[in-house]
Amino acid sequence: MDALNPEKRMIPSAKAGAAAIGLFLVGLAGLGCAAALQFRQESSGGYFLHSYLVNFCFFTSLSLGALLFVTLQHIARAGWSVTVRRVAELLADNLAVMFPLLAPLVFTVLAGNGILYPWAVSESGAADHVLHQKQAYLNPAFFVARGVGYFVVWCLTARYLLWLSVRQDRTGDPKLTLSMERLSAPALILLVVTLTLASCDWLMSLWPHWWSTIFGVYFLAGAAVGALALLILLVVLLEWAGPLAGEVTIEHYHDLGKLLLASVAFWGYIAFSQYLLIWYANIPEETAWYHPRHSGPWAWVSMGLLVGHLVLPLFALLSRWPKRNRLSLAFWAAWLLVMHWIDIYWLVMPAYDPQQPRFGLSFVFCLLGMGAVYMAGFLWRCRNRSLVPLQDPRRHEALAFHND
Amino acid sequence: MAAHEQHRSSAGLAGLLAEFASAEAVRAAASALRSAGWTRWDVHSPFPVHGIESAMGLRRTGLPWMVLAAGLAGVFLAAGMQLWTNGIDYPMIISGKPLLSLPTSVPIMFELAVLLAAMAAFLGALGLGGLTLFGHPAFSSPRFRRATTDGFFVFLSADDPRFDPAAAQTLLQSAGAVAVEPLQLDASSRQPPSAVYWALATTVVLAMLPPVLVTWYRTGPKPNPRIHLIHDMDFQEKYLPQGTSPLFADGRATRPPAPGTIAQGALEADEHLYTGKIAGQWATRFPVAPTAAMMDRGRARYAVFCAPCHGLVGEGGVSGITSARAVKRREPNWVLPLSLHIPTVREQPVGQLFHTITHGVRTMPAHGAQIPVEDRWAIVLYVRALQRSQNATLDDVPEAVRPRLRP
Repeated sequence: MDALNPEKRMIPSAKAGAAAIGLFLVGLAGLGCAAALQFRQESSGGYFLHSYLVNFCFFTSLSLGALLFVTLQHIARAGWSVTVRRVAELLADNLAVMFPLLAPLVFTVLAGNGILYPWAVSESGAADHVLHQKQAYLNPAFFVARGVGYFVVWCLTARYLLWLSVRQDRTGDPKLTLSMERLSAPALILLVVTLTLASCDWLMSLWPHWWSTIFGVYFLAGAAVGALALLILLVVLLEWAGPLAGEVTIEHYHDLGKLLLASVAFWGYIAFSQYLLIWYANIPEETAWYHPRHSGPWAWVSMGLLVGHLVLPLFALLSRWPKRNRLSLAFWAAWLLVMHWIDIYWLVMPAYDPQQPRFGLSFVFCLLGMGAVYMAGFLWRCRNRSLVPLQDPRRHEALAFHND
Repeated sequence: MAAHEQHRSSAGLAGLLAEFASAEAVRAAASALRSAGWTRWDVHSPFPVHGIESAMGLRRTGLPWMVLAAGLAGVFLAAGMQLWTNGIDYPMIISGKPLLSLPTSVPIMFELAVLLAAMAAFLGALGLGGLTLFGHPAFSSPRFRRATTDGFFVFLSADDPRFDPAAAQTLLQSAGAVAVEPLQLDASSRQPPSAVYWALATTVVLAMLPPVLVTWYRTGPKPNPRIHLIHDMDFQEKYLPQGTSPLFADGRATRPPAPGTIAQGALEADEHLYTGKIAGQWATRFPVAPTAAMMDRGRARYAVFCAPCHGLVGEGGVSGITSARAVKRREPNWVLPLSLHIPTVREQPVGQLFHTITHGVRTMPAHGAQIPVEDRWAIVLYVRALQRSQNATLDDVPEAVRPRLRP
């Protein structure tokens, strides 16, 4: 019964809890430092809010991607992924950590000052006909209600899936697997709809005049890349540290790598689809969004994304061996995690300064601070929980999984 | 080797077919055969057996490289095709995009890469799997039919350099075979059935028909109308010009207008204005009173319609750009336009000038269809002014302007 002993598949709870509390305090301090530095740099708070939005969307997208991964595995009745699924479930449940971090966005919108979102200024409707037309959707009260609604849906879905899965660790009831499968199909539909709307609310409405119908899919593709990259990194770490040792083989990395490669290609396909249509139609109200990203130093960031987020990883991960080598796969996962962050940065920051990319110590504080809070949430969730679904009926399938 | 060949042909043995009870058993047998050093043998199973590649010692195929090469070929073929046709061979600006523009080419580059890579993967896998093999000695064994349902087989070919029936039989049985069957060579089994040849030949002949027909019909005039494989809208239930209809007594489908019919806007009752005549004689005065605005209008219309041939001052000859170009190109049928300042033209009444503009004269085409009637009269007025300007005396020049004249 060694395989069913949860103690071997856990991070010791006392250590995890202590580390989580420590990281949480460090994270709060980091966010405080970032806020202090940035408010000193610019008293209106625009710089702080934009950099905060970058990191908020980045970490939220990681958890959303993890939730996508979990629901997809259930719908596909995947056997291979059982031993890595718990890590993704815990990451998805981390959306509950991101929920309170929505607060600064809520406050700036309700304050009606338009520092972050130009449409949030209370008199914007009178001066701007387009914003007046969009006011039924883009108004502070509805924005806040939607944001809360998204998180309620996401947190409930993630928590319920985790709860069912953890319950199966104790009872071993195979019916719980069926329950998770049945929940996953409608949950996936709901998830994609809310994720699309959330990306429009938080990122697209930074340019309230601009629109792109493929924007939600673009955000989803990036979230899938980021979540898979983080999942690979965590699985490598946890295998090395012990809890997943013997539970994952090189075959699991191979398949995670294939999914990562597919997500990278999907991201490139969607990114180019959006670009091509706008470039070809050449209508000023659409090209206005790409114009700052095409000019000056921002053009280098755009080219960097094309090369670093698509061309390099696509060819690097195309072959079999880079996916079947923990070191090279972890390297490309880390690379793509950075690229995904730059992608979100590229979506947000031209709204703050269309002339040039802004980056500095305060930005690093903000990223590391929120990252520490995020990882604290993850570690807190690891307490008293096995990091593999111990009694999943397909666990033996995952253990014996072979690509050949 | 010669003795070996003789041994094989005299025995007429193709190889040994061994049946195994399960996927695990056939995988173990494959490992045993491999470690015993046999090379010419294969495993047949109803489904892919996990780990069989490493058990058989199969090397990784070159298929991924073929797929990569085909995909890259698709990328460069599509890029080259589009950039060459649209940017170099037949440069055409579409939607104001640059001639050599990469973004427009990317969708086709992507599609062709996917198409060629998929075809390379499909055909390459079939080719590397030996698709062109039409027969196999194992097909002669009724037992082998179960290879598609629940049978696991190893076929050990007599081509193997180490082949020895007795030793092979022992080895297969010790590897766990439930049955070992010697199979005889069947010369016909490797030949495709004759129906395949007939089907191929028929396809080739049928494929030749369209190009042969096209060539035949293009060699010269044919008395029969062309073959309409697809009618499109070439034949419609409608009357064509000069067609017949049994509905009318005269049999004509096209009906003449009823007597006295005047089309809208075609009444043109004012003889002076529309024909330049008064009671059948050329009018010597204008139908409307000349004004400065009419003169300006005439000057502008003259520059558009008349100056290309007659020149801006009406000298004719090669003073107009069209005439100059025709002379420069030595157009054989070009007749030089007349000067408007020769006496015969100057003495014509305004009505006759109007008539000439409306209906043309000699090689000058009619302009009545292009120039509204008021504009034609304006042009006549300007021509009159030109004629006077080119034949003026000092008395025609106002006193105030005279000092500015050069001697």
